[in-house]
Amino acid sequence: MPGPLQGIRVLDFTDERAIYGAKLLADLGADVVRPEPPDGDRLRLRGPHTEPDGGSLWYAYFASSRRHCVVDRADPDARVLLGRLAGRADVILTCDGAFGVDLLDIAAARAARPTLVHVAVSSFGPDGPWRDWQAPDLVAGALGGAVATTGTPDTPPLKTFGDLNFMVSGTYAAIAALSALHHARTAGAGQRVDVPVHECITAALEQVLMLAWYGEQMGRGRVLPRQGGTHWSMAFTVMPAQGGAIMATPMPDFDAQLAWLIEHDAHQDLLDERYQGPENLPLYVGRMIEVMREWVAAQDPEALFFEAQSRHAPYGWVLPIERLATNPQLAARGWWTDYQVAGRSVNGPGAPYRFSETPWHLRAPDISAAETPTEASILATLGWEAHR
Amino acid sequence: MSRPLESLRILDFTHVLAGPYATRILADMGADVVKVNSLERAPPGQGPDAPYYVMWNRNKRALALDMRNPEAQAICRQLCEQADVVIDNFAVGVLDRWGVGYADVSPTNPNVIYVQMSGMGRDGPWSKFVTYAPTIHALSGLTHVTGVPGREDIGIGFSYNDHQAGLHGAVAILAALEARRRSGRGQQVDISQFEVGVNFLGPALLDLFANGRAAKPTANRLPYDTAAPHGVYPCLPQGEGVVGERWMAIACLTDAHWQTLAALMGNPEWTADPALATATGRAQTDWLDTRVADWTRTQDAAALMIRCQAAGVPAGLVQDGIDLTERDPQLHARGYFRPIDEPGLPLGRTYADRLPLHFEHTPCDEYRRTRLIGEDNAAVLRDWLGMTEEEVRRAEDGGVLR
Repeated sequence: MPGPLQGIRVLDFTDERAIYGAKLLADLGADVVRPEPPDGDRLRLRGPHTEPDGGSLWYAYFASSRRHCVVDRADPDARVLLGRLAGRADVILTCDGAFGVDLLDIAAARAARPTLVHVAVSSFGPDGPWRDWQAPDLVAGALGGAVATTGTPDTPPLKTFGDLNFMVSGTYAAIAALSALHHARTAGAGQRVDVPVHECITAALEQVLMLAWYGEQMGRGRVLPRQGGTHWSMAFTVMPAQGGAIMATPMPDFDAQLAWLIEHDAHQDLLDERYQGPENLPLYVGRMIEVMREWVAAQDPEALFFEAQSRHAPYGWVLPIERLATNPQLAARGWWTDYQVAGRSVNGPGAPYRFSETPWHLRAPDISAAETPTEASILATLGWEAHR
Repeated sequence: MSRPLESLRILDFTHVLAGPYATRILADMGADVVKVNSLERAPPGQGPDAPYYVMWNRNKRALALDMRNPEAQAICRQLCEQADVVIDNFAVGVLDRWGVGYADVSPTNPNVIYVQMSGMGRDGPWSKFVTYAPTIHALSGLTHVTGVPGREDIGIGFSYNDHQAGLHGAVAILAALEARRRSGRGQQVDISQFEVGVNFLGPALLDLFANGRAAKPTANRLPYDTAAPHGVYPCLPQGEGVVGERWMAIACLTDAHWQTLAALMGNPEWTADPALATATGRAQTDWLDTRVADWTRTQDAAALMIRCQAAGVPAGLVQDGIDLTERDPQLHARGYFRPIDEPGLPLGRTYADRLPLHFEHTPCDEYRRTRLIGEDNAAVLRDWLGMTEEEVRRAEDGGVLR
């Protein structure tokens, strides 16, 4: 069965800041074409790589389900080729400064195709004092507010692993494309949508803006110091256990957690009068976490995790990545998917959502960069000759 | 001008963050999102007197239904028949028990897009597990790889996966709408927040399966690519304690970035060390970060950021909530934050961060305050079901709409 976006044509001029959004559209069945220079997309160099042949696993993941075409900027026909592609696209995704964007005449494409949606991703937006600043994922996360939340007092503020900041902006770019497309379907008019990465990151920070605005009303500070694995509510925290760690919490049923501690005669002074009553809740939560930390330290995290879940307590065993490969939930749901990388089939992440009628599925890349045709006949190859 | 999703009807049974964030985005874009809640079962912190609730439920209309009441369940079924989208993030099975599961709704509303955002997905041995974002971070590997080498107790300092589950929920709804346009039929969408989270480690998982290499925390270094200096460095503090610290992210991705940074430092003698000529050499020079930090420690962070960026070195202040809401000149220039002055909330004035999507012809600039539970009973039931004020009042008096 085809994916939900079958028949939608997308031109992908993204870099790290939004390539994840193009991936979301491609894996959902859109026909996403990614132009690249004759010497190859620079993102094909990003690690990790297959050993020993050196295929980019980063690229296999982020550029999945695409069709590729080579655009030689030295070729006088390059602009014509891109113009013809753009004039037949439903959506064009761009990141300012990414390969090919300067060769693209968006105004002409929009004139040729009035329903065209142009999603323009940039680090900071089309105006403002930081408009031209450079912000790779680490810097974007720092300025956007994510980095300040992560780490402990004895570490620097920390970035998240990989490109998680840009995966937020990428997902927002996909939302921009699909919502503008929805509007174009009903109103018959496409439009440009600007997506500033900086604003996307700041829009997805859970407690950060809330505390800045309402922290004083809440009896909390306006800024929370970085506090490692402890959630801002103070009621969820990562605790060392025997041979590993577990995220433990008395939420959402403090009484049930207390009863569990009493079963193990590990409740210490939690029944003390000073912890009773709603006015003493913060004190009680703090003490409860201390008591739990001592109790958890002597336990096996795997056994504790399953026991907690059998009691409907939302504990989370801190799993190293290698344990995911054999995770029974992912296996039972048939989640893993084959990726084709440098001629090899490699297990990799499956769908982030399941559609009952139009299933997500990964498509193998059409051809490697070296094999990509350079002639303008690419249009015919892509089957994009006719207007639908 | 209309917004891009106007006329879309969404019946919203979501709570906490992941689901409400999905529907907040759709509401910001003009969808008529009706948030179903209950005065009888709203737990502390899940009402409009709680800042956390206010943050994620703006621009929605609020309907109260006591779903223990058969009459409320009947109204709910009628609403489901009118909905383009029904969405929940309850544990699996709650809506089925109320008689508004997909199997109940789809026969009478084949157009419905029915989205369930549970922790683990609808099936599998862990499907009944109870999760919050910190649970998902732990189980998905995100906690383990976020930190410094040798530690697995740090993790991400906010509920990243809740936001992303919401964003992916919005993508799924919009994709299903496109499929419906083609097929004329809705469908069921099953979102496992766990699978969303594991997905974010894509390249690392491929590395695990292809090469047998298990990712470990790398602090602020890139896990797979070579770039140095690439870190977060201390600057002159501006207050007491951890909150008063000032830090600067610097990411030298090219030799030119490094050479420019060295020039900004005044090209001290150590920067001429031949080992620093290449990215590989710099990444292997264990004293480099210390030397850079020795320099940044003497600098005012904001001024240094401007000097770095003006010279072409990617650098950024580590901004906290006060920086973002009060000092960030870029967000200020773009009007990113705005107060909502509508009266009627226990919190008084509330605030909105604008949707970060700027539509040329359908701007999304309406920000209405989060509504009290049941505040829109009459309007919603009139608009969706054609109920009269009298009928609504009778239902309210009968304890149905609470």
